[in-house]
Amino acid sequence: MKRLPLALALSAVLLPSVSRADDAGLRAVQLRAPSPLASYKAGEVIVKFQTTASQSHEERMLRDAGGLRARQAPYGGHYVVSLDAGVAVEDAVARFRSMPEVEYAEPNAVFHAAFNPNDNLYRFQWNLELIGAPRSWDIQKGKTDVAIAVVDTGIAYEDFGVYRRAPDWGNRAFLQGHDFVNGDDHANDDDNHGTHVASTIGEATDNGEGVAGLAFDCALMPVKVLDSNGLGFLSDVAAGIDYAINFTQNGTHPVKVINMSLGSNAPSETLRRAVERAEAAGVVVVAASGNDGESRVDYPAAFPTVIGVGAVDQRRIKTPYSNWGPELDLVAPGGDFSRDDNNDGDPDMILQQTFSHNTAVREGRYDDFGYFYFEGTSQAAPHVAAAAAMLISQGITSPSAVRKALYDSAQDLGAGGRDDRYGFGLVRPAEALKGLGFNH
Amino acid sequence: MKTLVRSLLLASVVGSAATSAAAQGLVIDGVAGYQDLTRSRNSAKAIFDGKSGGLTYGGGLGFELGNGLFVSAWFRNFSKDGERVFVENPGGPVFRLGHPLNLKVQPLQATVGYRFASGSAVSPYIGGGGGVTRVEESSTVGGVTDKSRQTKGSFHALVGVVIGRGSLSFGAEAMYLSAKDTAGFGGVSAVYDENDIGGFSAVGKVRFRFGH
Repeated sequence: MKRLPLALALSAVLLPSVSRADDAGLRAVQLRAPSPLASYKAGEVIVKFQTTASQSHEERMLRDAGGLRARQAPYGGHYVVSLDAGVAVEDAVARFRSMPEVEYAEPNAVFHAAFNPNDNLYRFQWNLELIGAPRSWDIQKGKTDVAIAVVDTGIAYEDFGVYRRAPDWGNRAFLQGHDFVNGDDHANDDDNHGTHVASTIGEATDNGEGVAGLAFDCALMPVKVLDSNGLGFLSDVAAGIDYAINFTQNGTHPVKVINMSLGSNAPSETLRRAVERAEAAGVVVVAASGNDGESRVDYPAAFPTVIGVGAVDQRRIKTPYSNWGPELDLVAPGGDFSRDDNNDGDPDMILQQTFSHNTAVREGRYDDFGYFYFEGTSQAAPHVAAAAAMLISQGITSPSAVRKALYDSAQDLGAGGRDDRYGFGLVRPAEALKGLGFNH
Repeated sequence: MKTLVRSLLLASVVGSAATSAAAQGLVIDGVAGYQDLTRSRNSAKAIFDGKSGGLTYGGGLGFELGNGLFVSAWFRNFSKDGERVFVENPGGPVFRLGHPLNLKVQPLQATVGYRFASGSAVSPYIGGGGGVTRVEESSTVGGVTDKSRQTKGSFHALVGVVIGRGSLSFGAEAMYLSAKDTAGFGGVSAVYDENDIGGFSAVGKVRFRFGH
């Protein structure tokens, strides 16, 4: 039987593991101002007088507006004013603002610390910051009953034979996967690509080590359809899709998203029908656009019901390798080996856990784990798959609605509106997770 | 607008021909009842779990001019809690996302109207007028609260009946309020292409007349 190889979108550039034990425990706390009318501290306002106002005049104005006592900030010259009991903050602000000597007056707004994981290498994950992951995590981290099938080279998810479970999965449980290359139920990764991709989706997060994943509370399912060289066959890819959508656990179908960081330029009817079955089963399918730098989008990314994902760099500019075309739907961080725009001393690529491919090839060992920089649309796609899983966890359950929410909330890049190089733009899960109010 | 003009015209014609000579007087009233966001019905049903309206209450100050005509200024408050949702298209399902939301609709209006059979125990009236309607929406997503406020011009037409002749009387009133451009520029109201947050309301009224 003639077997047609699928060209895996694997321009993954392997760099030495980055080991930074001295970064352990590093924690960044970001402070963000809420919106102007958001919550504020009761009984306090902040006031800044014009420099021409005298001290006695300032004190009189503070009293007139309902101030009980005030302390002046050592820098900036503004006062933090405690109000008399019964004086509403809004009233006091209005009174101060009506005084011509007042430069500005505002409530003492409550600031909100976004969830920032304490994983010691998190600061190298510019990609997660780029798509607003910390704000997304304030809203949704994923739910365990929403599973993402990673149809790829497998995942280093278990200790089995020569294979080892990657260290930064925490206590994550994996759904029973399948290995269509070797024909068994142990979909272990023998390449390292699938583990890296899966780690972007769901690496253990806020556990003090390694890096973070985006939808780290969702479940993962390893489905191996590509071999140790990153090559696979159409029949196995289609079978992998069907396995994921038909998998049941406790009478339910937990797989709601399929990530395929793979592709071929062949518009296969078998594959088209498989992704249509996924759509009919309520499963969102996400795929990489391809790494040839050409004006064509690989299949399955090019199918209408599949979210085709291209790659941008840290500047939100399309990477040279990212395929584009009318079928492209979104872009996400894929990285660029040649750039260090954030000046962190490392190339702007995607850092996740996996094992050394070289060690695996040379020594047949699959336990040489580390944190590796990869680049490619393979790395971009799992950002979108994770975002889709977060939306489903939040309550948007139909594939077409998930797509619409992701497209409508994307940051428009390139030409105005949808265009062939950026699709609808950069995925922004936090914006999508907000949903719609009456007018906003 | 046609309804308003018709109402005012009718009030004027009937007023000039009125033979009743009710006394002038100051009136205050309080109302409570149901407000339906008829003009944004789909949007309201989406965020309010299938309901298009809710409780409204308010009050007003009026003056009876003595020939059946009256003028009044009044305020109402509609405030209802719901949640943020996602709607793919107007015919699609509503996905509830669990982020709490509150919507306030607060018309402040002036009415010119005419009371038929002033001084009778049962006295119907009609009226119409305009003013402003304030719309405030707040929602909390992931611990951060966002608020938006806007005020737009609006108009109304109403019919009602007052029962009782003394200082204290009761009544019922039905009103239609239109407040264009208060919706439709984002959120679910943009999906449903609904740009007016107005609609019908039905309220009961308690009325106190000074100097009777």
